[in-house]
Amino acid sequence: MSLSRREFLKSSAAASAAVAMGMTVPAESQAAATEAESNWRWDKAACRFCGTGCGIMMATKNGKIVAVKGDPAAPVNRGLNCIKGYFNAKIMYGADRLTQPLLRVGADGKFDKHGKFAPVSWKRAFDEMESNIKKALKHGGPESVGVFASGQYTVMEGYAAQKMMKGGFRSNAFDPNARHCMASAVVGFYQTFGIDEPSGCYDDIELTDTIVSWGSNMAEMHPILWSRVTDRKLSDPERVKVISIQTYRHRTSDLADIEIIFSPNTDLAMWNYIAREIVYNNPDSIDWDFVKKHIVFAASPVNIGYGMRKEGEKSLTPVNPDGSAGKYSALEMQTINKEMKKVVSAKEAPALKPYGYKEGDVMVNKDAGLKHWEISFDEYKKFLDPYTLDYVAEISKGNPDEDINEFKKKLQTLADLYIEKGRKVVSFWTMGMNQHTRGTWVNTLSYNVHFLLNKQAKPGSGAFSLTGQPSACGTAREVGTFCHRLPADMMVANPAHRKIVENRWKIPEATLNPIGNQHIMKIHRDIEDGVIKFAWVNVCNPYQDSASAEHWIKAAREMDNFIVTSDGYPGISAKVSDLILPSAMIYEKWGAYGNAERRTQHWRQQVIPVGDSMSDTWQWVELSKRFTVKDVWGAQPLRGKDKNGKPNSLPSVIEQAKAMGYTEDTTMYEILFANKEAKSYKIDLTTFPQKGYDNTDGSGDSRNVVGSDGKVFKGYGFMIQEYLFEEYASFGRGHGHDLADFTTYHRVRGLKWPVVDGKETQWRFNSQYDPYAAKETKENGYSHAFYGTLAKALPYGDLMGIKNAEKTGLKNKAKIFARPYMDPPEMPDAAFPLWLCTGRVLEHWHSGTMTMRVPELYRAVPEALCYMHPQDAKDKDLIQGGLCWVESRRGRVKARVETRGRNRPSRGLVFVPWFDEKVFINKVCLDATCPQSKQADFKKCAVKIYKA
Amino acid sequence: MKTISKITIGLVATALLFIGCGDVKNATPLNEEKVKPTISEESLGLRKTDIYVEQNETYGHKAAYSTTYAGSGNKIKRAFQDAPPMIPHDTEGMLPITIDNNQCISCHMPEVAESMGATPVPSSHFLDMRPKHNYDGELFTKAVDNMKNEVSIKKGDKLSGARFNCSQCHAPQSGDDVSVKNTFEADFTSKDGASRSSWNGTKLMEGLDTTK
Repeated sequence: MSLSRREFLKSSAAASAAVAMGMTVPAESQAAATEAESNWRWDKAACRFCGTGCGIMMATKNGKIVAVKGDPAAPVNRGLNCIKGYFNAKIMYGADRLTQPLLRVGADGKFDKHGKFAPVSWKRAFDEMESNIKKALKHGGPESVGVFASGQYTVMEGYAAQKMMKGGFRSNAFDPNARHCMASAVVGFYQTFGIDEPSGCYDDIELTDTIVSWGSNMAEMHPILWSRVTDRKLSDPERVKVISIQTYRHRTSDLADIEIIFSPNTDLAMWNYIAREIVYNNPDSIDWDFVKKHIVFAASPVNIGYGMRKEGEKSLTPVNPDGSAGKYSALEMQTINKEMKKVVSAKEAPALKPYGYKEGDVMVNKDAGLKHWEISFDEYKKFLDPYTLDYVAEISKGNPDEDINEFKKKLQTLADLYIEKGRKVVSFWTMGMNQHTRGTWVNTLSYNVHFLLNKQAKPGSGAFSLTGQPSACGTAREVGTFCHRLPADMMVANPAHRKIVENRWKIPEATLNPIGNQHIMKIHRDIEDGVIKFAWVNVCNPYQDSASAEHWIKAAREMDNFIVTSDGYPGISAKVSDLILPSAMIYEKWGAYGNAERRTQHWRQQVIPVGDSMSDTWQWVELSKRFTVKDVWGAQPLRGKDKNGKPNSLPSVIEQAKAMGYTEDTTMYEILFANKEAKSYKIDLTTFPQKGYDNTDGSGDSRNVVGSDGKVFKGYGFMIQEYLFEEYASFGRGHGHDLADFTTYHRVRGLKWPVVDGKETQWRFNSQYDPYAAKETKENGYSHAFYGTLAKALPYGDLMGIKNAEKTGLKNKAKIFARPYMDPPEMPDAAFPLWLCTGRVLEHWHSGTMTMRVPELYRAVPEALCYMHPQDAKDKDLIQGGLCWVESRRGRVKARVETRGRNRPSRGLVFVPWFDEKVFINKVCLDATCPQSKQADFKKCAVKIYKA
Repeated sequence: MKTISKITIGLVATALLFIGCGDVKNATPLNEEKVKPTISEESLGLRKTDIYVEQNETYGHKAAYSTTYAGSGNKIKRAFQDAPPMIPHDTEGMLPITIDNNQCISCHMPEVAESMGATPVPSSHFLDMRPKHNYDGELFTKAVDNMKNEVSIKKGDKLSGARFNCSQCHAPQSGDDVSVKNTFEADFTSKDGASRSSWNGTKLMEGLDTTK
């Protein structure tokens, strides 16, 4: 036995026994240990990075972070973090932190779009923002003021931004980077359950027998969840099966029992194959009692396009004889033209046969919105007919070197595992199924299989959408920082919802803009079209993270507009901006995130921000001081016409505002932020949780930062984070989104909402575990109630369309959708013969602005590589470690060839991560989206590779 | 309580980037401010080449991982107290880690590590910190009370399954170059903190009660 092992036994045996099963360590040993780190202060916090939502323990000394360790009390990760999680310790200390506002100016010191940057005061920064927002409002009304919002906002920041954008500016051009990440999952939830977010929780991992990862490299992207999967697998290797279903081999396959490599987009066909196996070949496995009580079948149009630009849009005109159109080249138009119409391919023809299409037919695409209708089970069965093993194996096999019979065997085994009676199954996915031109469809297909088998919303079983970002759920989705949403699953299009929000915010009725269609790609396109004149980037990096990137960076620099980026570090978005604002980073402010299992987690401000940087909350609240009732609440024009042919507009609400006691000169600050209710949340430095902690927003800090009015900022004088959180939470309480109070979250390691009577909810919709479901099933004694209320009344029809427009209510029911396999708009061909898939690596977060500045993470993966099959490399005369060009119809980047790394694609596909500014792969990607969710597909486009 | 620190870390960082901008504290109104266009777009960020056109000079920073063979005794200091140590040796042929083949533990298990010249897997990796909740197929109940932040730490005789994926925390390092310096300063509370884990015994629980 080695020394360390002996030492371990001696020192830790007593403590280990003492702390087992919830006992606390004796006070004297606790005190002894504390003395050793007496000048360290430990506090709990949430990890900055992925949607897993791990807890960390963070130590500070003399106002700086000195260490991070695992938190054994954090239910998500129980004492373990991944490499990024530990290095949260260093993310705020990159030497090029932004410390002052920077404005592009000319030699005279005036703003100049073509000038270099000059450090300016916060006051000057807000002066410029104010005048440019006023200019934009004058130019085109609220639709000309846009914000790139974030799934990495704290809950409070997102809520503050939402209030000022929608309540103040009356603009819905407010959409998060979470659109790129989760939108397909959201629409899938809405259409299936009538309410957003997963039914299950991470405890499913320890309870299940089968983990299926669909297009998700959990081993790198959700490492702690993968460690739980691994732990579960190792605990019972025979019983527990892990299946990795991917378009290329990666670390998630390394621990899998079965690896299925499929051709991009054919996940649609594989889900339908499993459903067909159930319905046609194993009808006894259907839990008819469950299905009859809880499920209806539904269909929707198929000719819905691919979310690309449409003909007639400003930047697509004029159409030129050479095939180019407006700002788009002839090569780009080869793909974009499919938005208008396309030819049905041999690959998709069998799947589209029930819809009346055959190979070679021209499909004319139309915007169908979210329309769907109820169909019969027989109609659903007819829809499933084409998905035989032969057809699905033929189109899905993604490794050209794999034997088709071997592949068929795997598909059959996959179906068998799902179907096996008594076998619990969890299906996980992330970006593979979300970043998909049929992302909403494929999300809904996952629930089909689980519903038919009654393996959804139960301990150890369920289809479970994993989130990418730390608060894509908590902020983007729950607060509703999307163009079409309001807090707690309410919608801007719904007059009743608008009224609830207007009343709560104490703003006049009819203030809120009912038209919310400026999703994140639309914001980029509106900037390119010259519609949006002012755009503000918050806690994201849209100029690096959006597909067809070259268009957007050019539009930012070349069009007449004013782009502002708030960030901790200068990323690509900051570089293309006119004004850069230094933001306080995560542990420099109070905050809260919500993770993928509905867990809300709060943290306190650990240190004072670097330089003159201030929180995003502060930046929004300061901006609100610059706008009065008369500036923003007069009549405003909107684009388009209403159904009577009248131009859309927003009415003046100034008179109503006066009736509410405001004047024309009352500022948005007074109305939205520093109101009477807000001031009731007191600064109290004598009690928990505020005692001993900085609060720059509330009280200012020792830096004495000169604020937006040219005077030292001394704080708002009230507990603004608590106010914002509590007001936001009030929307969800009693409506299935119940959150605990602010102070409780500081006491515990997060809670999974709905939190009812002080208890979190493990499995939603399940009457045993979810008080809302229990309430709904009190009379009938049903096992489940899918109580979401969105799209819960449907007309009736068949696969071809609606036959009876009369709507039937579907209270407490969920839906199984008929949705076919279809090709993506761009596939490999002779000119661009390879698939390109993009994504992340374990060591870097998103665009790398934080992690590339942590030496250990930088050195672990200093560059983005082009991962490819050795034979493909050889065929193109490329060598391992040599440089190649990766080129699509939209652009090209140079990258180094990797044929033996952690990602090992089959022939025909290359993978390039997007964290590296120098390998700007989003210039190559296509901005096609799921037409329903508007989420871009970063996982597939066609490229050619050649030696550089 | 009037907070922890009077040291303004911001001022230090300010000096790194923007020398001579100290007078913003006396900001004057719009356009009268004496500001000078001194900072080029190209000087900002990690990519110093034109971002609008992809030219020959733009490509990633080539990795140069250690070619030192495992067991040569080469070690990389921990970044801070109990930070996961980085991999100082060549990993060629050792990855991927699969369910049947984890080559890392063949040298790093405490029983053999010393004789192999390897950093031993520390005691924390032999603890099972995940409470086993109760589920009999009928009703799920929790084994610990999350409202009380209860923990469950059980000593095992084998590597914790949760810690089987070594590459989740430990990574090889490419040279000493970085793109941007980092001003983080470690503070080691144990004298050999840069070379070994101290996260055991009572330290596992240290600081966990954050409500005091």
